[in-house]
Amino acid sequence: MSSEAIAVTTPVAEVPLSRRFGRVWWCALVVSGGLVLLLGYTLVSVTILGVGIWGVNIPFVWGFDLINYAWWIGIANGASLFAAILVLRRHDLRTAVNRFAEGVAFFAVICAGIFPIFHLGRPWLFYWTFPYPATFEVWPQFRSTLTWDFWAISTHAIVTSLLWYVGLIPDLATLRDRARRKSVQRIYGIFALGWRGSVRHWAYHQRAYRLVAILVLPLILIMQSTVAFEFAVTLVPDWHETRQPLHFVATGLAQGLSIVLLVAVLLRSGLRLGRYIDEEDIDLLGKLVLASAIVSGYLFLDEVIAALLAERMAQEAMLNRMTGDYAGLYWTAIVYSVLIPQLLWFKAARNSTIAGVFVGLSIGVGIWFDRFSIIVGGLQTDYLPSISRNYQPTLAETGLFLGTIGLFAALLLLFVRFLPVVSMFETRHDEHLEKSS
Amino acid sequence: MAQLFSPAAATLFRVAIVLACLGILSGAALAYVWARSGSTWNVGKPAPQPVPFRHDLHSGSLGIDCRYCHSTVERAADAGMPSAQTCMTCHSQVWVGASVLEPIRSSFLLGQPIEWASVHRLPDYAYFNHAVHVTKGVACETCHGRVDRMSKTVKTQTMSMGWCLDCHRDPVPQLRPQDAVFTMGYEPHGKNLPDDLREFYREASRRLTSCNTCHR
Repeated sequence: MSSEAIAVTTPVAEVPLSRRFGRVWWCALVVSGGLVLLLGYTLVSVTILGVGIWGVNIPFVWGFDLINYAWWIGIANGASLFAAILVLRRHDLRTAVNRFAEGVAFFAVICAGIFPIFHLGRPWLFYWTFPYPATFEVWPQFRSTLTWDFWAISTHAIVTSLLWYVGLIPDLATLRDRARRKSVQRIYGIFALGWRGSVRHWAYHQRAYRLVAILVLPLILIMQSTVAFEFAVTLVPDWHETRQPLHFVATGLAQGLSIVLLVAVLLRSGLRLGRYIDEEDIDLLGKLVLASAIVSGYLFLDEVIAALLAERMAQEAMLNRMTGDYAGLYWTAIVYSVLIPQLLWFKAARNSTIAGVFVGLSIGVGIWFDRFSIIVGGLQTDYLPSISRNYQPTLAETGLFLGTIGLFAALLLLFVRFLPVVSMFETRHDEHLEKSS
Repeated sequence: MAQLFSPAAATLFRVAIVLACLGILSGAALAYVWARSGSTWNVGKPAPQPVPFRHDLHSGSLGIDCRYCHSTVERAADAGMPSAQTCMTCHSQVWVGASVLEPIRSSFLLGQPIEWASVHRLPDYAYFNHAVHVTKGVACETCHGRVDRMSKTVKTQTMSMGWCLDCHRDPVPQLRPQDAVFTMGYEPHGKNLPDDLREFYREASRRLTSCNTCHR
């Protein structure tokens, strides 16, 4: 490798190899670590005391557990779909965002997976959803959404972690070569799987990386639709719609892109990686987020139109979500996920770190309210007069949600600390191409 | 720069991957066998009883009918365990002074039930009814084994849900005529199954395998 090629990516490699990482990182890790402890506490308490400590009750059989599951899996979907498309298109943007987009997807899957397991009530028997030769000689009910969750999450976890790890291998080898301490060299060396950068290695690597990326495309669409079908197959009037998968996939993409934008601007300013995640990248990412927000807006409109064409029951359900007790959620979702992102029409906003953080968070929050509105708003109208209570998350549920945010942040912080956040080999490849052309 | 890993490292790594895969597979195989082995389900393990009651003596040698002690087996969900009075019908005359029968006598005098330890306890969420099985031709022996040869009462079957379902899915080969339900060592049907029974249970096995037949 020429010294020039080494110099290109030194600032990226220096980040994980540096011995000190500053106070801000430690503070952030302590805060998120505290939230992870809260997560542990809420999980232990729900395991011991049962789901009775949650606010869910008939008719609200699904509360924060499903809201947050659908939300996290949306982030995972959006981010990995985006990353896979960039890899397959060999788009310039991949050098800047792919690595952490894949990371974001993987961490979001981990957070998403917690909810369906613990909402089983008996989380230690979660493997009953897996078809294995059990002594009770009964297969899992394949028409049950619980088994769908199992397949959706395990597929997600395998594919997104593969995409992330396969992309990391050449960079792990770079870190191994540049690490100064023997023990660090060894650790990176083991995970680099003996990478020597031969032509054969590169040929296999490209094939593997693109193969996994191709796998992501259909799987993400199928798995996100699976989550949507969990609602669509029920008889709840507001859920029982064929447009549900489209809504979940498209708004999930907006959500994934917005979190990628959020992480991109934070990394760019926090680690001074302006050269790798340059203005053009952020500008393009901003435009993508804007486009996806407009698509979300179209889907909110489509929901209304579809309701107009539907039978009276579905119309009532839709109207109830817009004007009923939970109308606030619906309108908040529209304001945060569709209206606020319109800021990105302005170039100044696309290039500003603060605006990037603001819009990124706003879409995340907006889609969260949308999931809340779909799940709770859909269940609110029950046709039994005895049921008139509303759903309110308890502290145990809120703590669980905050805990997964802490887990996500902690994983992201550790990732930033120990792994290259920008794909070094892709950057070298592109810079080389630029010079030779 | 000195080499990080020795030349054998790559081979070691490959061996480790293969071993890990084999480990997972053999772990799964082990779990499969363990979950089905009798000892996991306490098959053949006697429970500590207040009185060293011997089925081989009472049922085998003396030929006392099962229903003499388990008196509600034809009428109720529970087969019923003998009260001290039942034991005392004979033991007020035979083995009167035996020290091993002391719990029976004190139970009889104090009017308190004998605390027999259950050997065949099913979980709370499984509903089992003795009467319906016994009156429809499922013999004692089919589930409890050759009790007439047991000096200490033990399980002979796992009593797992799969074991229940094996019969519920196809009960006919196990069923006996009504007069053979309480006999031991009876060979049901042989090879040729009665046609009318087979016809009946072709329909009925659907009901027998419904969840709420046993989980109510």
